[in-house]
Amino acid sequence: MFAALTWGRMSKIAPTERRPSVRMLLHGVYRGFAGGARDVTLDAATIREALDGLVRAHPTLAERLRDEHGKLRPHLALFINQDDARLLGWEDAPLHDGDIVHVIPALSGG
Amino acid sequence: MAKQVTLLVGTKKGLYILRGDAGRGSWACEGPEFAPAEIHHAAYDPRDGSMFAAVNQTWGGSRIEVSRDMGKTWKTTKNPAFPEGSDRTFSKTWHIEPGHEKTPNVVWAGTEPAALFKSQDRGETWSIVKSLDDQPSRAKWVPGFAGMGLHSIAIDAKDPKKMMVGISVGGVYRTEDGGTTWVQDNKVNGAPSDRPDVLYCIHKLLAHPEESGLRFMRVHEEVYWRDPGETTWQFSTTGLPTNFGFAAAIHPRDTKTAYCIPLDAMRRTAAPFGIGVYRTTDKGKSWDRLDKGLPEGAPLESVREGMHNDRLDPMGLYFGTANGDVWASKNEGESWTRIAQYLPYVTSVHAATIE
Repeated sequence: MFAALTWGRMSKIAPTERRPSVRMLLHGVYRGFAGGARDVTLDAATIREALDGLVRAHPTLAERLRDEHGKLRPHLALFINQDDARLLGWEDAPLHDGDIVHVIPALSGG
Repeated sequence: MAKQVTLLVGTKKGLYILRGDAGRGSWACEGPEFAPAEIHHAAYDPRDGSMFAAVNQTWGGSRIEVSRDMGKTWKTTKNPAFPEGSDRTFSKTWHIEPGHEKTPNVVWAGTEPAALFKSQDRGETWSIVKSLDDQPSRAKWVPGFAGMGLHSIAIDAKDPKKMMVGISVGGVYRTEDGGTTWVQDNKVNGAPSDRPDVLYCIHKLLAHPEESGLRFMRVHEEVYWRDPGETTWQFSTTGLPTNFGFAAAIHPRDTKTAYCIPLDAMRRTAAPFGIGVYRTTDKGKSWDRLDKGLPEGAPLESVREGMHNDRLDPMGLYFGTANGDVWASKNEGESWTRIAQYLPYVTSVHAATIE
């Protein structure tokens, strides 16, 4: 059930089209949740596809990124290079070859 | 092999493990594990030696961790999850209770939002107990000061099908068929006032580990005793310095003895009377104060999961405080020694008696 939720909406890019190659860079606790992994290079057209690919590479991240209803957890920041993904369409934000997607905890507190 | 005691000490910044020597005289402190997550509760399963930790964290969400090697390594379990279509989302684990020895693979968890989850694979995966979740009276549950959680899971000493759960604020529910059906169980006897049944803010509900049917309950403004066969809760608060508190323990063999730590209801500390453990040896009819070795007049605080006992003879009793102390008594509360200090705010203490 949970896997189906994470695969939720489809990208506007056809499944057969080549996806951009991007690098997912894990920060802080997310490295621990992924068994110490620092980064994953994968093909993804959007943030949603990138997160799905990240979970395929590190299944232990599934419940750390989303709740049981498939919603991304609060206190999770996603940046595409220097830009906040929230300002670019959040999970629908498009990715391009060579992009670095930062997966960052919190950005809260004092 | 001599039995030893290991304390699982949950704090607001991780889990500490205090391993005692054979005489319970010196303690080696390890940790913190999982910091900076808050450990709402941690528990040892005497049936197979597993340890469980309720790791409640903003980053990545809350989770339950299990150790199969006495706390050396830990593994994240599959999260408790509310069913698809539910408007609730698992937020925290408030309590983990290993099941009855006759049901060796069963472990229970109480969560926020208030719900009971059952594991039938030693804590690897969890399923909601729908029969409790479907209670029409659930609509009347409301959050307490700390949220709306199911925190007490009292399993009968002899019959694993007989259980009670305590909810803040939702009262007590009882099952006698292993959780297929539930009834509210909030009728009191001798209390100064009555209130709607779900509005009993249960603070701690305990089942005696050897005497079937014996219960001890710490409620927001009362303490109650219940003997086997009784159908009401007997008001047992007279003699305590205040009627408020959280931490409670029940003697593992004596069927007339229990303990609690009263707090001032407004200050939420043991002010002005000072920290002290109160003991009844007559089923709550009277209470005596045990404070030898405790700092005189100290306005300390011990919270819901803050006190626990071991199973040795004489029994060891332990409690943690909001200022990061852990206090131990190896003579059933008669005298106290501080065995840890400068820890973060202690949220839970669980004494594992290990063969």
